[in-house]
Amino acid sequence: MEAIRVERLFKSFGGVRATHDVSFRVDAGGRLVIIGPNGAGKSTLFNLLNGQLMPDSGKVFLFGEDVTHLPLHKRAHMGMARSFQLTSLFPELSVLQNMMLALHGLRRSRFNPLRATLSYGSLLDKAEELLSLLDLWSKREDQIRMISYGEQRKLEIALCLASNPRLLLLDEPSAGLTSGERTGVMEMIRNLPAHIAVIIVDHDMDLVFGLANRIIVLHYGQIIAEGTPDEIQADPKVKEVYMGIEEERRHAGAH
Amino acid sequence: MSSSTSLQTQKPLAGTRSASAAPYVIAAALLLVFPLVLPSYYLSVLTMILIFGLFAMSLNIIFGHTGLNSLGHGAFFGMAGYITGIAIVTYGIRSFWTSAPLGILGAAITAAVFGIIALRVSGVYFLLVTFALGQLLWSIAEKWYSVTMGRSGFVGIPAPDLGLSLLNLGSPLRYYYFVFVVFAICYYLMSRLHESPFGNALLGIRERESRMRALGYNVWLYKYIAYIVAGMFAGVSGILYAHFNGSIAPSHLGFATSALVMLMVILGGAGTLWGPALGAALIVLIQSLASLVVPARWPMILGILFVIGVMGFRGGIGPHVIKTARRMFSSGSNQS
Repeated sequence: MEAIRVERLFKSFGGVRATHDVSFRVDAGGRLVIIGPNGAGKSTLFNLLNGQLMPDSGKVFLFGEDVTHLPLHKRAHMGMARSFQLTSLFPELSVLQNMMLALHGLRRSRFNPLRATLSYGSLLDKAEELLSLLDLWSKREDQIRMISYGEQRKLEIALCLASNPRLLLLDEPSAGLTSGERTGVMEMIRNLPAHIAVIIVDHDMDLVFGLANRIIVLHYGQIIAEGTPDEIQADPKVKEVYMGIEEERRHAGAH
Repeated sequence: MSSSTSLQTQKPLAGTRSASAAPYVIAAALLLVFPLVLPSYYLSVLTMILIFGLFAMSLNIIFGHTGLNSLGHGAFFGMAGYITGIAIVTYGIRSFWTSAPLGILGAAITAAVFGIIALRVSGVYFLLVTFALGQLLWSIAEKWYSVTMGRSGFVGIPAPDLGLSLLNLGSPLRYYYFVFVVFAICYYLMSRLHESPFGNALLGIRERESRMRALGYNVWLYKYIAYIVAGMFAGVSGILYAHFNGSIAPSHLGFATSALVMLMVILGGAGTLWGPALGAALIVLIQSLASLVVPARWPMILGILFVIGVMGFRGGIGPHVIKTARRMFSSGSNQS
């Protein structure tokens, strides 16, 4: 079954082509990873999928429905969840409050102005289950800024899972993590229910080739290669682009 | 630290902050008994404190909790005051049970209209638009003499008529207790709101709008509802004020009142539920003392007070009071 399909997406910012004629589809259970050098338009593409940006032209279909002009929160109610590249939690609120916001998000209870958030027993059980998986239940009363960066990244993903999504967009889930924490996050993604479709943007090659069953390579907003991890590894165009990046990295490192 | 005890309780309650009832009982007892021995001038000061405390808490719903910097909150206070006054004096609607709902409805409709306009922008532009809308009402109230009695204000508003001779609110002391009851009911409702999924969503919007959208929250709708609810509570305080003062003036709709109530919230602390009421208490108290001692110097004193409050107590006085109280209690009783 098709989870998401995009057709001929275009988006530019003041003459700069951020997304240029991008089309692809991901089916239920798919694990698509989008890679590409910095400035390749990965974030823009993510924002187009998610609804944070509207395309100049082209269409986005979610579970077969045209959602091109549907706002973010409505896409969330259709089963799309998204994590953010820069940790996007609620810093002044506690770990548990963060989780409860995510759990109420798709339920009618989110509008209830009189009943206490923490009196919803079944949601509290669910919060305990999700936070225990991350070893964060004991820190549930801590404010977000009091927990470690690695814990924040894991919570970032856990908030997406709270809504039992059918499509999960993960924006650089391994950014800024130590290698140990990275393994933890990879494990978490690998253990996601099989029926969920997942789209990941990341730079970490272990994560990319470890998790993907399909890879798209973006360059200057265009798809220059699409295929299985093996096909991508063998693709000369990809090598060319990435050799360029390695050059740049070396230069950047020399500064 | 402070939550070490609540961590040991069983699951369903774990995670709630151990909200003790003791401070509320003490505060309520003081507010109930104290007026019996207060000289009449200070009784009126205390009445004003509760009225403006409610007003400041209503602003806090949008300003402190949702993060909307509204500089037009006087509009709802004044609008409800005017409508109640006009209903009673001009149209002879004596019953409080009709005139007050009309006032609250008026405040709600005003907020509903203003919200559609102001919520199209955010940040400092929201501040400017709400400010401008308040000034607009202020100038209408000044010019529309036939309805509002113009510049000097709408006068002759009697004490509320509750329709029961037992509940005659003619005396200042009785009116004080009436205000106390209304304040307590509103406080209770706002505290429920604060703990609810709806109230938590407002906090989430203050912290990170984009994430709230991604989690499925219609951010605009939440802001809009919060704006109207805040306007209604402000309306309640405006009605209490109109009855108390016997009049309502154009300035109540505009900048002077909106800025004063914002100062109350900032001074008392936007982060807590009751902080703004504390800020209101301080400002009303000092204002009345200053008007006795150095009547012409009030704006200067207010300015100095505000600078001290902002520089010396980051985040308002409220949170500092909590910290001090916790330290006192925890060093007295259990460990750490």
